[in-house]
Parts: sequence; structure tokens; C-alpha cells
Amino acid sequence: MNTSSSNTSSSIIASALNDPANIRRRAWRMLKDKLVRHGMTIGGLSVIAAILLIFFYLLYVVMPLLSSADMELAQQFEQPNTSAGKTLHTAIEEKNELGVRFTEQAQAIFFALETGKVVAEFTAPKPEDAEITTLAVSDPARQVVGYGLSNGRAIVMKHKYDITFSEDSEGNRVRTITPNIAYPLGQAAFEVDAQAQALTHLAVQISNDSNMVAAITADQRLVIASITKEVNFLTEEETLETSRSELSLFQDAEITHLLLDKEQVYLYIANSKGMITRFNVRDPAHPVKEEETQIVKGDIKLTSLNFLTGDLSLLVGDSTGKVTQWFLVRDEYNEQHLTRIREFNDLSAAVVAIAPEERRKGFAAADEKGNVAIYHTTAQRTLLTAHYDQALENLTLSPRADVLMGQDKQGKTYVWDVHNEHPEVSMHALWGRVWYENYPEPSYIWQSSSASADFEPKFSLMPLAFGTLKAAFYAMLVAIPLAILGAVYAAYFMSPKMRGVVKPTIEIMEALPTVILGFLAGLWLAPTIEANLPGMFSLFLLMPLVILLCAYGWRLVPKSIKYGIGEGWEAALLLIPILLTCFIAFSLSHTLEGLFFGGNMRQWLTDHGITFDQRNALIVGIAMGLAVIPSIFSITEDAIFNVPKHLTSGSLALGATRWQTMTRVVLLTASPGIFSAVMIGLGRAVGETMIVLMATGNTAIMDFNIFEGLRTLSANIAVEMPESEVGSTHFRILFLSGLVLFVLTFVFNTLAEIIRHRLRRKYSSL
Amino acid sequence: MSTSNEPLTHGMDIASLGRGEPALEIEKEKICLEVKDFNLYYGEKHALKGINMKIPEKRVTAYIGPSGCGKSTLLRCFNRMNDLVDSVRTENEILLYGENIFAPSVNVAELRRRVGMVFQKPNPFPKSIYENVAYGLRLQGINSRRVLDEVVEKSLRGAALWDEVKDRLHDNALGMSGGQQQRLVIARAIAIEPEILLLDEPASALDPISTLKIEELINELKDRFTIVIVTHNMQQAARVSDYTAFMYLGELIEFGDTSSLFTNPTKKQTEDYITGRYG
Repeated sequence: MNTSSSNTSSSIIASALNDPANIRRRAWRMLKDKLVRHGMTIGGLSVIAAILLIFFYLLYVVMPLLSSADMELAQQFEQPNTSAGKTLHTAIEEKNELGVRFTEQAQAIFFALETGKVVAEFTAPKPEDAEITTLAVSDPARQVVGYGLSNGRAIVMKHKYDITFSEDSEGNRVRTITPNIAYPLGQAAFEVDAQAQALTHLAVQISNDSNMVAAITADQRLVIASITKEVNFLTEEETLETSRSELSLFQDAEITHLLLDKEQVYLYIANSKGMITRFNVRDPAHPVKEEETQIVKGDIKLTSLNFLTGDLSLLVGDSTGKVTQWFLVRDEYNEQHLTRIREFNDLSAAVVAIAPEERRKGFAAADEKGNVAIYHTTAQRTLLTAHYDQALENLTLSPRADVLMGQDKQGKTYVWDVHNEHPEVSMHALWGRVWYENYPEPSYIWQSSSASADFEPKFSLMPLAFGTLKAAFYAMLVAIPLAILGAVYAAYFMSPKMRGVVKPTIEIMEALPTVILGFLAGLWLAPTIEANLPGMFSLFLLMPLVILLCAYGWRLVPKSIKYGIGEGWEAALLLIPILLTCFIAFSLSHTLEGLFFGGNMRQWLTDHGITFDQRNALIVGIAMGLAVIPSIFSITEDAIFNVPKHLTSGSLALGATRWQTMTRVVLLTASPGIFSAVMIGLGRAVGETMIVLMATGNTAIMDFNIFEGLRTLSANIAVEMPESEVGSTHFRILFLSGLVLFVLTFVFNTLAEIIRHRLRRKYSSL
Repeated sequence: MSTSNEPLTHGMDIASLGRGEPALEIEKEKICLEVKDFNLYYGEKHALKGINMKIPEKRVTAYIGPSGCGKSTLLRCFNRMNDLVDSVRTENEILLYGENIFAPSVNVAELRRRVGMVFQKPNPFPKSIYENVAYGLRLQGINSRRVLDEVVEKSLRGAALWDEVKDRLHDNALGMSGGQQQRLVIARAIAIEPEILLLDEPASALDPISTLKIEELINELKDRFTIVIVTHNMQQAARVSDYTAFMYLGELIEFGDTSSLFTNPTKKQTEDYITGRYG
């Protein structure tokens, strides 16, 4: 450093700069700067990382929904006990340890699924002189089969499995499954046809209190035997009461299939001409023929007919390899007709076997060329297609649908492991109109669970997405005008002193827990509005009128009084007429109701075709609007207040009135801020949970009516997540709806940000 | 005082001012604005004290004086922009062609149309150049494309901006340079044909070349408008104005034609100020 005498001041500075303490201080200053810079980078990156993690976790839970099924051959073995004759029916027990085949000699052969080794054999006590003519399978969950005999009798067998646990020599618990056979209608062959004609087709349904056996006899009669079991309450002695009826069938074609649903209401008879005749047998003594429907036409033959689980839908396999689903649909005259719902077209030859799943609306089908496919009806989804050299017969799915078993012509038995976790989901099932069983037309329904196992889950996200948007729409309808106009007034016209009170007050409203808002809305506001509907409506009409009148009246008030109150304090004064209007409107409510709405406006609305729920979109609009107002108000107010004064002065100096300046310059310049305020409000309304949960009734309907409830994606997750089984389709779909919500907000916010940036570039202030 | 904004190319000898030009006499002028014993208070502060003066029509009148002397405040009274400031109170009258602008019957928006104003900082609206100029007309309900086109061109030509912007009339005005923005603001002000144009330090935020352009513009505009300009820059006042008023601590110290005020000030305070002894 130069230390010449003329430069003493700089040498003082130089020595001060070189002072070790100062050097340390400067080093510390650099370090702080670095630390903060890196800290901020890390913070920003971790925010992005956290969002990505959430996104990928949601995706990770949702992904299995999108995978299709696969299956692999686990075992193959020769037919267990071939000497017992051909297989007529097979089944697998719950734990996938045992299989059973029912043979043409009325024998039940139980075998281990892993080895094919015979575990047990049972032979039905068939009369010597009778032959087996047909076999019937009931609802698979009841594990009942029936043999029809040539003497007009039937043997009904139920395969049961007893599970016992024992300890082996090493002290491990070993599970032993012991198969057994029961005879629900007694060991002796049950007389179906009193005329002792051979039974060509048989249908059996056994339930706790009523059983039904239906059969077609060789001489083309339909015979129905209804057996009710009665237990003597004193002796606990069981007595079976049987009533029989019969009906001559005048079929011009050979009967191929006979099916009876498990409710014992409808009986379906299919013939070789592809015609299905439906009988109502609710009263077993008087079966009524309700309809005849042509299922397949022309050369196409009906080759396979099964119920889908629940016994509401018929699965029809035809000779071209097409499987169609049919169920009863009520028409406008309230009559039910068998209607073709959807078709599955992956097989190439005649369908020879259809195996419905026991607990889901899925099934497996095989054709005579060895093709196998697994389908789900509701989702209209083909999950798997496979090809084998041999045509498969006696296709059966295990109760959990994770094992598929089939036999080829020689009786060789194949066992596949099937991985088919989530067949219920497809784009169509989530977002399209789906024709559900028992519904008159395709529709969007969310109904994820029910008490019964064979219920068809309805996983349409449309009503939820719709409800989300509906709630947000009505909330914004309330919030946007109030918040933005309020912000305009507060920022531009209100006296600074009053603004100093009003703004923080509204901002503090944001801190109000939404659960309290929702609670008030659901338990206080909803019943109050319901009880004072006419008051509510007259308030909507009166309020703007009163405010306009007051504004006009204010012009006429002498200046001296105006100055006394002060400019920008008019709004405080306006509170009095507003409160007065509310009071008058609500006290007139009952009078108005009596005069114009027959004393009950709710009833009046209902009579005029407007459904009214107590917790409805109006309530949500008001409550959630209130929750959203603070954010919109605060940001808008800031944006308007921060419009540079020189712009407003410039406008005023050109002869603009305050209103013209407001609308033409201030709003324009503040538009990016106002826009982001609205988008932030919308984002909040879309994601809001507690208010919609408590104030909407959570009805997942698609109706824009302001008086009807709704269910949002977020409320749905809150309601159903605790009761859904972890890892189930329902669970994953809830995550999917979370993902949808996430993507929805993400798209909203990104769009908003892009638009805001463009606006800001265009209208950026100086 | 700072001379950084001074256009060097335009430097003038103050003493040579007024030579060869007809002498100006305030008594012979037609009077546009008359300030009568005017007082203004910001709350308790007495900001303008008994101002009396007449502003002649179609002349450039400049206010000079040190910061805080009240010259901008007075200027803002002429179109009542001070109304926007809370706690401002005024006493007595300012007459615009004989009418008191503080009379209760006066429509402030209409007054401001007649008395246009350009501020220190260029303040174009975040709109296109065209819409900026058309703004004042649209406020008055004039929306005819034909009229607007004509007025916009005429005003931009009047503000010596037309040739620079005629190909981008619909671009955002915020994309222009500071000097162009200030001329745009002047074009916007003259588009509604005010009677008076108030310029509040119009060149103080601009570079020397833009300042020069603005000064040339003022010279051209004085044939059409009465111009009142507030400036910190004495050379600028000397260059552009016909009359000059010197204000100090809220009082009007001296008012007279520019050349006599600068060459032969009658008050000591004026002389001290223009010779740079304080300010």
C-alpha cells in the first residue's frame, strides 16, 4: 500500500482494512452471505422436492390400478381319479388348497391343488336304477351342486371345508382342511317331478330359509319345487315343506340352458335358437312367463350361459367367441326387459366355458380353440388374453379370483396363479357413463361400497369432480363480487382510518378454522335458511335495492352533515340500513311464506319440481364464500392500493372522474394481482374440505341445482379413507382422486401463474 | 444547484436574454388565470401565503424557487389536484377567466379537462400508445374511430412524437424511452385541447437530449396553449419562459417578464437565488 504523506487518509483506511479483526469480520460477512444464499437454494429445492415426493407417492399408490392382469401356470396334473368318470363341474375352496370335481357318476373328488393327489372322495347316494342326466350349480358362494336323475329326482350336495389347526412334531401350527359333503335337501334323492320323468336340465338355489329346485323334464315340462325349512321352536325339529308346480313348455327348439337366480325370482330358459325365456317364479306355485328375448340371431348359437356374480346379469357366450352381458332394465312403462349392455370380443371361436368371479364383477371365458380371457364387466375391460393348445373345459376361478383352474378334453388339469388385483378401474369406469346393474341407463355414479359382497362398486369420479367444481363455483359466486368490490372500496374510496380497521379484521377472518365455519354452516345456517327461505330470497332482492336507495339518498344529504361524518365513512353508516333490511326480511319471512308459498316454501319448491336439501350448494356457497373472501379481498386490496399514485393522478388530471380512473386505469393496472387473488381463492375453494364435508350432505349427485347437495373430491377422501381397506381398489381410487385434486390445483395454479405473468408484462406499472 | 440535466448544447448566457425581442408587459396581456390573495394550509402548516398574481394567456410562465417553496403546490391548485391530499384547506380564490375554480358549482373533472397537467415522472398508462392519447377523449365519451385517429395523429405530431411511433401505435406505451414517454404524456394532455397546460418539472427525470426536445416542444406549444411550468432549472426557465415567478418559503417574491427578472431582479432574495447564492 502506498503510504506517502499526501495520502494519509487512504493509508488510515488501508490499515483499517488490513486490521485482522476487520479481515475476520469481512470473512464472516462473506460466509453469512454464502450461508444465506445456499440456505435459500436448499429451502427452495426442498419445497420442490417435497411436492415431487407427494406427487410420486400418490402416483406410486395409484399405479397398480393401471396394470393389467397376468397369470402363470402353477401346476398341471392328470385328472384326479380318472376312473370316476368325466368332470361335470369343478370348484376351488377359499384357501386355494383343495379343488373338487363332480363327476358324471355323482362322485365328488377332492384333490390337492398343488399335486393333484386325491384327498377325499364322496359318492352321492344315487338310486341303483337311475342315471345321472344333468348337473346344476347354484350361486358359487353357497357351494351347492345338484344332480338331476333319470327318475325325476335330484340329489343336492354342498361341499364344505372344515379347518383345524394342530401342532406338528416341531411345534409349528399346521392347518388342515378337511373336505366334506352335506345334503341340504336330505340324503335321499329329492323328488322334483312327481311324474318321474327324466330331468334334462336342473337349477338349484339353496338359501337359509327357502330352497328352490327347478327342472326341465324330458317331456318338456318346467317343474318347480319350492322347499321351505321350518324349525319347530319347541323341539327344534326341522321339517321341510315342499310345494310343487309345473308348466308345459311349448318350445319349438331344444332347450340348452336353465338358470335360476339366487333370489329365486327369475328363471331363464335358453334354447338352441338363441331365445331366452324369462319366468317370474317369485310365487313358486304360479310361475309367470314375462318375456322372450332373442339373444343371438341367425347361424350364431348360444354356447354358454352363466350368471355374473350377484345373479343380476347374464353372461352369454356365443359360437363366434363373443361374450355379451345382459340384464333387466326397466322401461318407461315400468316393465323389465332383458337388455344387451356390453360385449367382449377377444375370443375367436365358440365360447365353451365362462367362470364368473365370486366377489367381483369379473369373469374368465375360454373358447374351443384354447383361448382364455379375463374380463371385468363394469370397467368393460379385458385384463388378459392367453392361448393354449387345448380347449379348456370346466373353467373355474377360486373365491378370491387368484387361481384359475381348467381341464382339457382328456381331463388333464391346469392350475394358474392369476394376478388381477384391480380389474374394476378403467378410464371408462372412472370418467365415462357406465351402465350399472339395475340402472335404467348409463350414468355417472359414485357408490364405493355396500353391505353385500356381490355389490357392483361404482367408481365414477365424475360426480366428485363435478361436486368439487360446483362447490367452488357457488363459493366464488359469493366471494368474488363481495371480495373484489369490497377491496376496491377499501383501497380507493374508504377513509384511511376506517381502512386501518376493516382490512386487518377481514384478514383475521382467514384464521378462522374452517371446521367452525362448516359446523356453523351445517348446524345453524342450514336450518335457519331452510326455515326462512322467503326471507332469504327477499333479502337477495331487497339488499341491492336498499343500498342503491341509500346511495341516492346520500346525495341529498346536506353537505354539513356529510363533512361531519367525513369522506369515506359512508360505508360504516350503511351498516344500519343493511342490518335493518336483514331484520325486516327475516321477520317478514313467515308472512311471505303464508301469502305466496302456501305456508311452506320448501314444499312449494318441491311441488314445482325443485328438489330441496337442507344442506345444499347455497349453504356451501355462503360458508365457503366467507372462508375464501379474506384471501381474495386481501390480495386484491393490496394490488389496487399499490397502483402507483402517479397513474391515478395522471388519469384524474386528464379530466377523469374517480370512477373512470378506477375502472379504466386502476383495475387494469391491478389486474394481475386481482387475477391471482381470484385464482388463489379458487384453489382454496377446490381443495377446501371441512366446510364441504359438514355443510353439503355429501351426496355424490350430478345436478347443478343450488338447493341440492354435493360431494367433493376432498370431502370424499375424508369420509371414505378411514373405512377403506388398505391396498384395495377403493383405497387406491381414493388416492387417485387425491392425485386428480393435486393435478387439478397444479394445472389451475400453473395456468394462473402463466396468465398472471402475461398480464403483468402487459400492464406492469412503472 | 445541480446542472446534470442541463442541455449543454443549449447553454445560454442569461444576461443576453430578451435582447432583440419585443419587450413583454403583463399589463398588455390577456389574463388567463388570476390568483387572488390565495392561502393554502396542509393541516397546520401554512404552505402558500397570500399569493397574488396573474398568468397571461398563450405565454409560458415559469415558477422557480428552492425546493419546498410551494411552487408545485400552487401549480396543483390550478387544476385542484390538491383536493386529493387529505387535510388540505384553501382560502380565497383562483379565477380561471374570471370564474372561481373553488366555487361549489365547479365540476372538478371538467376543470381538469380545461387545465391539463404533465407530471415530473412520465406516467403513461399501461395501454397502447394510441389508447394513451385517446384516453382523455374516451373519458368524454368520444369513441368514433375516425375522430380518435385524427386527434391521435394530430396530438402526436403536436408533441413531436409522430414520426417516431407511427409504426407502433398499438404497442404498449411502457416500451418507450423516458423522453418519448414524457412527450407521449404531453400528447395525451393536449389531445383533449385544454386551455392551460401545467408542467410540473417535466424534464427533471430526463436525459439532456430528451430535455432539449421537451423544451423545443414547449416553444412550439405556446402558440396554442397557456403554459405554466415549474422547474428547478433556472437556465431552463430562462430558455423557455416568457414570464417568471420566483417563490420562496410559500411566498411569491417576484414576478415579471423573464428577461427583466433574470437580468434585473428587484428583490434581493431573487438576485441571491439566480446568482446561485442559495437554493
